[in-house]
Amino acid sequence: MNKLREINSEFSFEKEKAIAKNFSQRFQWEMILIGMGQATVWLSLWPLVLNGYLSLWAGFLLASICACFAYLPSHEAQHGNYSRGNPKRRWLDALVGHYTLITLIYPYEVLRVTHMKHHAYTNDPEKDPDYNNAHAKSLFHVIKNAADGSSTAYEKYLEVFENDKAFVNSYKKGLPVALLFRATLLTLAVLFPLETLLLWWLPAKIGTVYTTVFFSWYPHLGTSTGRYKDTRFWSHWMPRYLNHSMQLHFIHHLHPNIGHYDEPKAIEALKPFLIAREVPGADQIPDRVTFNPLIKT
Amino acid sequence: MFQVLLEKLFDHIDNWGKFWFGLIFFGSIFNAIAEKSNYFESTPNITVLAFALGGLIGLIAKLRGAWL
Repeated sequence: MNKLREINSEFSFEKEKAIAKNFSQRFQWEMILIGMGQATVWLSLWPLVLNGYLSLWAGFLLASICACFAYLPSHEAQHGNYSRGNPKRRWLDALVGHYTLITLIYPYEVLRVTHMKHHAYTNDPEKDPDYNNAHAKSLFHVIKNAADGSSTAYEKYLEVFENDKAFVNSYKKGLPVALLFRATLLTLAVLFPLETLLLWWLPAKIGTVYTTVFFSWYPHLGTSTGRYKDTRFWSHWMPRYLNHSMQLHFIHHLHPNIGHYDEPKAIEALKPFLIAREVPGADQIPDRVTFNPLIKT
Repeated sequence: MFQVLLEKLFDHIDNWGKFWFGLIFFGSIFNAIAEKSNYFESTPNITVLAFALGGLIGLIAKLRGAWL
């Protein structure tokens, strides 16, 4: 009880929020550049490959890299981290959010609303749309589910949240986009079968598997429900810029409006708060967050 | 009217999407691979076989409810 009072006064949520706010205001230009850049590079691969300026295998490699970079810029848009609450800039969230996801063949609105529910109900078996990824039996099952599309089979959440009109409307707004993607993919498959396979479908699968493993599986593996318990710090052999810096995903769940590239500094500043809250692994956070190995748990 | 048509289309895709995807997408891929390969040069009706294989994979996925 005394300990709780101590947390409330010295490391209160209000103080935590005030610190987090300092890292939640910067314009996320890097992420816009990555999102718009990868999608533009990906689009340019088509004329280059079809006209013989680039081999199909080189195109496949580049398209797969683009697909791995595609989700995160959309994720920032989903949280409104480009408009930063300015209604006049919401078009920027929508533009980046939609455009960057072309590579992954996903409708932005569906991912946006389901991601908001993931934040609201993290690790809830009934209501968290990402629950099956984070709580799959093994890494193999995560990869299998992501590859065959089950990890993003979000249709059932239309029933789960049928009374949430905003959710249902936004979800339904994404369906024609999904249909357009599917129709375009099939049309291109008839016209340019091998190019469609190696420039779009297979890279999208690789990007989806990559994103699901590093975004959903590792950060939520073995975690439970609750603000300071639903995500974890973890370490990985990869330099963190190769795995989307998802070892820092914990701080994203605490304060989703912190810009992705500001998360390391935010973690350094919030470290005492996390230790006070007894977040597993928080005492292992280095004073200065480096590229790798970052945090050992 | 458009809304009703769209919902019917989505219902059909929910039920038969995997089959159509197998037939059109995988069928086209198999056909293109067969055309490029010397191995299938003398096989008659290779296009029909390629699309039939794609359709079969899609049908199995529809019946199983999953691709993998």
